[in-house]
Amino acid sequence: MKRSYKLVKRFGLALLSCALLSSATAVYAEETAPGVKGMSEEEFTPAKEVLTVKYVDVKKPYHMDVDSLKGSFQDATGITVPLQMQDKAFPNGGGSIQGAEVKAIHDGITIYFQITWNDPTRNAQAIAIQEYRDAVALMFPLGAVEITPAEHFSPRMGDREKPVNLWHWKSDWEADLLVKGELEDVEERYPNMHDDFNTNPYSPYYHRDLITSIAVLSGGRAADNLISRPGRGRTVEDLNAEGFGTLTTQEHQDVNGCSKFEDGAWTVIIYRSLITQDPHDVQFVPGGKTFFNMAVWNGAEQDRNGQKNISTQWHPAVLEKVAWQ
Amino acid sequence: MTLVHNWHLGRRMEYPYFESRPKRQFAAVFNINRCIACQTCTMACKSAWTYNKGQEFMWWNNVETKPYGGYPQSWDVKTLRLIDSDNNVWYTDDKDEKLSPYGVYEGDTIFETAARKNLNQWAVGYVPEDKEWRAPNFGEDVAVSKKQDEFSTLPEHSRWFFYLQRLCNHCTYPGCLAACPRKAIYKRKEDGIVLIDQKRCRGYRKCVEQCPYKKPMYRGLTRISEKCIACYPRIEGKDPLTEGRPMETRCMAACVGQIRLQGFLDDNPKNPVTWLIRHAKVALPLYPQFGTEPNIYYIPPRWAPRSYLKQMFGPGVDEAIDKFMVPSRELLAVMSLFRMTQSIIFEYAIEQGPKVFETVIHGKKFEMFNDTVIGYGEDGKEIVRTTVEEPIHVRDPKHYNSI
Ligand code: SF4
Ligand code: SF4
Ligand code: SF4
Repeated sequence: MKRSYKLVKRFGLALLSCALLSSATAVYAEETAPGVKGMSEEEFTPAKEVLTVKYVDVKKPYHMDVDSLKGSFQDATGITVPLQMQDKAFPNGGGSIQGAEVKAIHDGITIYFQITWNDPTRNAQAIAIQEYRDAVALMFPLGAVEITPAEHFSPRMGDREKPVNLWHWKSDWEADLLVKGELEDVEERYPNMHDDFNTNPYSPYYHRDLITSIAVLSGGRAADNLISRPGRGRTVEDLNAEGFGTLTTQEHQDVNGCSKFEDGAWTVIIYRSLITQDPHDVQFVPGGKTFFNMAVWNGAEQDRNGQKNISTQWHPAVLEKVAWQ
Repeated sequence: MTLVHNWHLGRRMEYPYFESRPKRQFAAVFNINRCIACQTCTMACKSAWTYNKGQEFMWWNNVETKPYGGYPQSWDVKTLRLIDSDNNVWYTDDKDEKLSPYGVYEGDTIFETAARKNLNQWAVGYVPEDKEWRAPNFGEDVAVSKKQDEFSTLPEHSRWFFYLQRLCNHCTYPGCLAACPRKAIYKRKEDGIVLIDQKRCRGYRKCVEQCPYKKPMYRGLTRISEKCIACYPRIEGKDPLTEGRPMETRCMAACVGQIRLQGFLDDNPKNPVTWLIRHAKVALPLYPQFGTEPNIYYIPPRWAPRSYLKQMFGPGVDEAIDKFMVPSRELLAVMSLFRMTQSIIFEYAIEQGPKVFETVIHGKKFEMFNDTVIGYGEDGKEIVRTTVEEPIHVRDPKHYNSI
């Protein structure tokens, strides 16, 4: 941008705008929308390796956790999904996680995806301004679609009139479930934030009633934003999108999950019934085929939104038939 | 990116969205010279909007001591570094009253720096950590102490500080709005107020990162971001006190030092805010080089070093201070409107009064007339009438001792 405006002044503003315009077109020529670069043909080709969603008689445990489901995943064959930085839509970011292993099973009623990836740090809180959560998301095309290179279906957040259903597991939502009221409060992070961040939890200056009574001044709660809502009862958010920046929380939440962080690796299981009543949800048929894609967020690297580790291709998944089929 | 005109910079600049100016723009003029840092404005905002849980650290309005104070700490120094502060070069030989009243900025804005450096995001920025928001009054009243003479004398004091009153600038080209990948931030067409949609926000903190003024704030309780809402219910005339007329915000109305006048920037040269900013040119934008076209305008402090002020308010500083130090008859009258009413003044008129005083200030003749200035509301009705000489009210002897 640094250029002499004396010249510009002499030749008038027209020259300036021409100069700017041409530099702008040169830099952004390959953009398909402001801040969005076009996709390569490769990305429209689904991966070759097919994920088999194995039929297993799961015997749903009373308390759903990674350990009690471990046995059910034993015979399922996983695939490795390579991950890379998100480099198409502003803001770009991610790149700290290279890949994840995905396994899937179903019992004719519920489908379970198990995702495992290495992450040296567990980031399960997003209360401090500089702290971001670890998270993982699965994405499915909505409706019965066959994805081929000829039939472009964006593997990145879908596209206009090509909606996707996303399941977004959040580490802090899981932590929320373990506390009273099902929302980790600011006191979990700052025991006495109202009192200059001091750490005495018994300050005489704390007027709980005044400070917590007026929900309308909690904008997110007044607007019923699921992210702000206490007692969600789940760790996975059910969403839709039709391209970058269109991510929208569904009215009806159907997905749940559980996780375990051990030895520098996350294992997350996300599950939902094969069929739901919600027209905005992907539906699974035993014996049928679908596609999925995924992304992982590394909180320690300030990953959030488009700053994430993504897979750039759809992955086919085939559900085994149930035993009585 | 598209090209939009930024009149603060006197040129077109790159911005992710098309130019789309509101019908009238929420704006205010702050006279830094008169602020006493009483923080009444700060508390007026806090007690209205941010006394709730998770907002303890939030000061949508704050008053900091310059040069050392900053909320969050060193916000301006850090952002200036990001755009390379030595870039603050202006071409001022040729100006256009409408398009480039201060000249042309030759450096890069926050948006252009991000593009030039191929950062693959809309603007440069950073997210201040929790500890940076904690002590909003760090550096209060700390002067730069360069002891040269026994006494400091104008035009520049060798020992100095001043107060900077800050809130969201409801920018014409908001960095926060550009940064939000979800388009959860919007600028209202009717008054230019910039708001975060509390339903769409997902707590990504990109607005916190790319607002150069650091005015969006992340709330741990709701895990999404909040910011100054320009007291929009008051602006919309929802407060019964003004009977449906647009009303100035809490932080403006509460100002003890009477340094604030809020209204709308529009095309009416007899609108006091428009007149002060666009015609008298005594009030200047804060860090125009960031490129967001901020809408809180400041009358710079006359005693602080000009180089510092030019970095902060751009090249219009000398002219603004000259005009403020030896005010014109009209300026004196318009400045008398500050804090005379809570209703927003849309137009003013002056009735001439007698000459009451005459002197020489810095070699320039100054005459004072006791003119009457009248403020009109949106409906054209008179809402305030005052004189340049402050009216004196003598209390009835019967009430001498009553409070
Ligand atoms: S109320 Fe007015 S005088 Fe007091 S600190 Fe705020 S701006 Fe300054
Ligand atoms: S001051 Fe910051 S938060 Fe306010 S409109 Fe401008 S960029 Fe957005
Ligand atoms: S305009 Fe209203 S919300 Fe904004 S800082 Fe002032 S008092 Fe607070």
